[in-house]
Amino acid sequence: MSRRRRRGSSEEVELNLAAMLDMAFQLLTFFILTFRPPPTEGQINLRLPPPVGITKSSGADPGTDFNAKEPPKSMKSLVISAYSLRDGSLGQLAVDESNVGGLLSLDNRLQIVFSNTDYDQVIIYVAPDLRYEELMRVIEVCTRQRLRDGSRLSKLSFVEMPTS
Amino acid sequence: MSELESGEGKPNLTPILDMVFQLITFFMLVINFKSAALDLSLKLPVVGSVRPVDTKGQESLLILNVDSQGDINMYGRKQPVKEYIAKEAMAALIGAKRSQPDLEFGQELPTMVVIRADRTTSFKAINRVIMECQTNGFRKFALKAKREESS
Repeated sequence: MSRRRRRGSSEEVELNLAAMLDMAFQLLTFFILTFRPPPTEGQINLRLPPPVGITKSSGADPGTDFNAKEPPKSMKSLVISAYSLRDGSLGQLAVDESNVGGLLSLDNRLQIVFSNTDYDQVIIYVAPDLRYEELMRVIEVCTRQRLRDGSRLSKLSFVEMPTS
Repeated sequence: MSELESGEGKPNLTPILDMVFQLITFFMLVINFKSAALDLSLKLPVVGSVRPVDTKGQESLLILNVDSQGDINMYGRKQPVKEYIAKEAMAALIGAKRSQPDLEFGQELPTMVVIRADRTTSFKAINRVIMECQTNGFRKFALKAKREESS
């Protein structure tokens, strides 16, 4: 017993740190090479249901429901149109039928519109050639608007304008 | 006779090992494999009011990198728009069925579609992607943009 203890105390166990250091450096190299700092991006959250026809239909073809006595209810829709210039930049803007100047005018107009009326859907008619960055400027103005219940506008529908 | 005199000087590797392990711990904590899905070659539009939104892992995300031609790039490969979105919608439906067993194909999926599109992409190309997503049941969208132009 005493002999065993004596032998144990005389042996000095040395860890080979060089091997562990090699492995640690390899791990470190892997993490450094695969490390990519995430880009600082933001986002606009939207709810994008497919656009519904201005007139609500029950799914049946017109004239097939002979028992229907009431005319079909219409959806209260706000239509914003964004036209493009030849180079894809933002051209004319319109709210419903009337033209508005630029984005600032659109902002003012939408503030008035949303403070007076509730809409079932907001449809943005967009020219097919309009660039994404220009569209985002329009969306930014739209999502800035507050509805009558105090919430922000986040439910939009996009429709592509027919090419002339 | 000391170690130096006998020529057996050994460097003390413990501090350097400590430091290397600390560095490894740092990189392990900050590494994010999800960022591999982002196509960093895209030039996102600059919109001043966008804010980073943290979903805290509550929502599943479908990231779509749309290049200037309207193609979807995932992990460096172009993917066919229709087939790729349909495949992802099926995967999202299977995932969502775990929490909502009644969910059927065509109903609204809880997954949020994150669109990272190049600023020069035409609306026609983006709308094609959005419509395909809508057809497959996606309703929640996040349009990515930068807050300011990076140098």
